[in-house]
Amino acid sequence: MRDIVVAREVAFPREMVWAALTDSRQLAAWLMPNDFRPEVGHRFTFTTKPAPGFDGVVRCQVFDLRAPERLAFSWQGGALDTVVSFDLAQTAGGTRITLRHAGFAGASNLLPRVILGFGWASLLSRKLVAHLDGCRHGA
Amino acid sequence: MSRVSPEQDPFRAIADANRRRMLDHMLAQERTVGELAGLLGIAQPSVSQHMAVLRLAGLVDERQEGRRTFYSVRAADLRGVAEWIAKYEVFWAERLDALAAHLARQRQ
Repeated sequence: MRDIVVAREVAFPREMVWAALTDSRQLAAWLMPNDFRPEVGHRFTFTTKPAPGFDGVVRCQVFDLRAPERLAFSWQGGALDTVVSFDLAQTAGGTRITLRHAGFAGASNLLPRVILGFGWASLLSRKLVAHLDGCRHGA
Repeated sequence: MSRVSPEQDPFRAIADANRRRMLDHMLAQERTVGELAGLLGIAQPSVSQHMAVLRLAGLVDERQEGRRTFYSVRAADLRGVAEWIAKYEVFWAERLDALAAHLARQRQ
């Protein structure tokens, strides 16, 4: 199954990155307006612009919280029922952030099978691949 | 992504669990409505109704053989779904850039 994984290394201490992930006000500054609280089981929403098939509200619930290394919450929006996690690893120069967005299958195995079976990678434009490469190498 | 009417929206089409199960079964091999009814344990008219939704969304192809119609998953039109996931990948790449910029501001 293909998850979305985006990793970055930043030159900031892990505790500082953790605060940016788990403080509602800071989270709003770089992600979306929210009513997040750092408590396992807490239900919260992110709000953004609606789009076709999506009311603009992402419904979430915290299910893993291990300061300062791991935060995971469910991510339900539109027809999707997925999971988002952040893992923070200390490095010599700062912190490695690994974002994983998983579970695109939702309740069925349809999506990963479709995507694997029909060449998900080939569906990505060269521009997108270049963009992601740029992010990966340029960070 | 191009604008689609609600009837043609692939995400709406796959929001239903029975339709997802139908697609799962049609991924492995082409199926008739009767076979799908047996596999899912639901009535043939229900399968026909779900199939109509999947066809409108452009997710299935059909092939006539004698008096039987075989249905299969149409790969190309699931592109919208894959593109949508690809958009999320860009979304997160951009958000992590924003996080790095936010951290730089915090330090100042």
